[in-house]
Amino acid sequence: MASFSRRIRREIIEMAYCSGGPHVGSALSCADILATLYGAELRLDPWHDRDIFILSKAHASISLYAALAARGIMPPEMLATYCQEGGLLPAHLDRQTGYGVECSAGSLGHGFSIGLGMAFGFKRQRSPRRVFIVIGDGECQEGSVWEGALFAPRQGLDNVTVIMDYNNLQAYGRPAEICSFEPIAPKWEAFGWHVCRADGHDHGSLLDALHEESRGKPKIIIARTTKGKGVSFMENELVWHYYIVTQEHRAKALEEIG
Amino acid sequence: MRNTFINTILEACKERDDIFILSGDAGLGVFDRFKEEYPDRFRNMGAAEQNTVSFAAGLAMTGYKVIVYNIIPFLLYRCYEQVRNDICCQGLPVVLVGIGSGITYAPQGMSHYSVEDLGLVQTLPDLVAISPIDPCEARAAASYALDCHKPVYVRLAKNGEPLFHQHEVTNIAAPQIIRNGEHADTAILFHGSVANEVMAAYETLKDRSRAPLVVSVPTLQPFDVPAIAGILSGFKNVVSVEEHYSNCGLGGMLARLKAETCADWQLTSMGIPYGYIHDVRKTAGLRASLGIATEYIVRSVEAVSGFAS
Repeated sequence: MASFSRRIRREIIEMAYCSGGPHVGSALSCADILATLYGAELRLDPWHDRDIFILSKAHASISLYAALAARGIMPPEMLATYCQEGGLLPAHLDRQTGYGVECSAGSLGHGFSIGLGMAFGFKRQRSPRRVFIVIGDGECQEGSVWEGALFAPRQGLDNVTVIMDYNNLQAYGRPAEICSFEPIAPKWEAFGWHVCRADGHDHGSLLDALHEESRGKPKIIIARTTKGKGVSFMENELVWHYYIVTQEHRAKALEEIG
Repeated sequence: MRNTFINTILEACKERDDIFILSGDAGLGVFDRFKEEYPDRFRNMGAAEQNTVSFAAGLAMTGYKVIVYNIIPFLLYRCYEQVRNDICCQGLPVVLVGIGSGITYAPQGMSHYSVEDLGLVQTLPDLVAISPIDPCEARAAASYALDCHKPVYVRLAKNGEPLFHQHEVTNIAAPQIIRNGEHADTAILFHGSVANEVMAAYETLKDRSRAPLVVSVPTLQPFDVPAIAGILSGFKNVVSVEEHYSNCGLGGMLARLKAETCADWQLTSMGIPYGYIHDVRKTAGLRASLGIATEYIVRSVEAVSGFAS
């Protein structure tokens, strides 16, 4: 799985460099979470009965594209079309892309509720299919997240696992300085969720949390992460929410990632 | 209309097990029979409109025909972005059922009026919009929505509307000729909840031997330009009436149609004056104060037809 993570990170840097697009820090932040899901946890065979993954923090789309390509779901050559004229992959997710992009997203707080609706549908069909959703910490400032958080436990949606990519850095500062949502774990607990904590860069820690019994409740894993993880000059640096990867950045980043 | 609409869905449930209704804590008593017969096909999502619409999108993705029911501002305005991104952009065949079209919720206040929803709908490509006038059109709208592969918005009045159609409606997507006029120069086009005012105006005009052609246009998006242009061909005057801002409703659509087809009829658009409503009145009184009550329709038709007293 370490090599899976490394491959995702390398593709993130390449796509960011070739497109001149932002959100590299956000994508690197959830690279290990996606590697854990696509490398070990998601049941994708048979495809028509697969588990669903939704990247609700869809500004980190390059991490999903990289994971889908690494997992053999998306043709790897598609990655080179990311944000290119006439290309196939937009900066934010579009379901029409196909190849494992399960839901359009880009406006925060939407993918989360869509995932709940899908989980509800699977439950009603008595299907064993599960839904995994990655949300950002900044995303927890959206009211719609809390509307869904209130609703899901009453429906017993224990087929939902939300992973909060908690890198403690949103577009223009620390959440605590902008609109604090702490204490976050007791809030979800009070709403009726099973809350676990994990190191969002440790595959073992994430797997432990993913496999923890939730006793009929929907589960949220609060995964501590570092924005820009894996590239020293991007780590925990606010500017890498929007900064563009230059040729020099690219070379240095790829060298560090290995 | 409301009960007919829901009862049509209830009937369809006998044949289909994919229908699911979500309510936003609205519709007192409306779903009693539905909940009794199909308790596992209904959820009250609470006062949480954004989650409700996105949730509906997710549920639709798993193969359900999802019907979302709420008062129009809470169905379309509060969560416009969820309707746009999650339902329409993803091309999901969710049915959005809005109650309280126009000012039928008067005197609840401006927050509960829906006088610009069709303007919003026109910003959402592929969202079919149906504004029925009576239980007959509501039944046809429900059947159409259940079979439609696109998202559908149905705007309903409150309840208890009389029947104006004399036969079942077979094609809700087409303009409906409700009454043939004796006065061949003038046609009234209208939609939705102002129907009783239009039909009362028709009766008055008929008594004076000045009856116009009366046409309901239930499906406003897509707007059937060829059919409407065909009906209006040969007319001198067209009066549109709606319980909606006319600049972004039927009146605006007809103005565009007139320009695009170089039609030579004169258009008079009657609708809610463009502005916010602060008067405290019931629906009938508010219609009168806003200039869309029966007497104003009669006066407009007589004026454009050259019968002004």
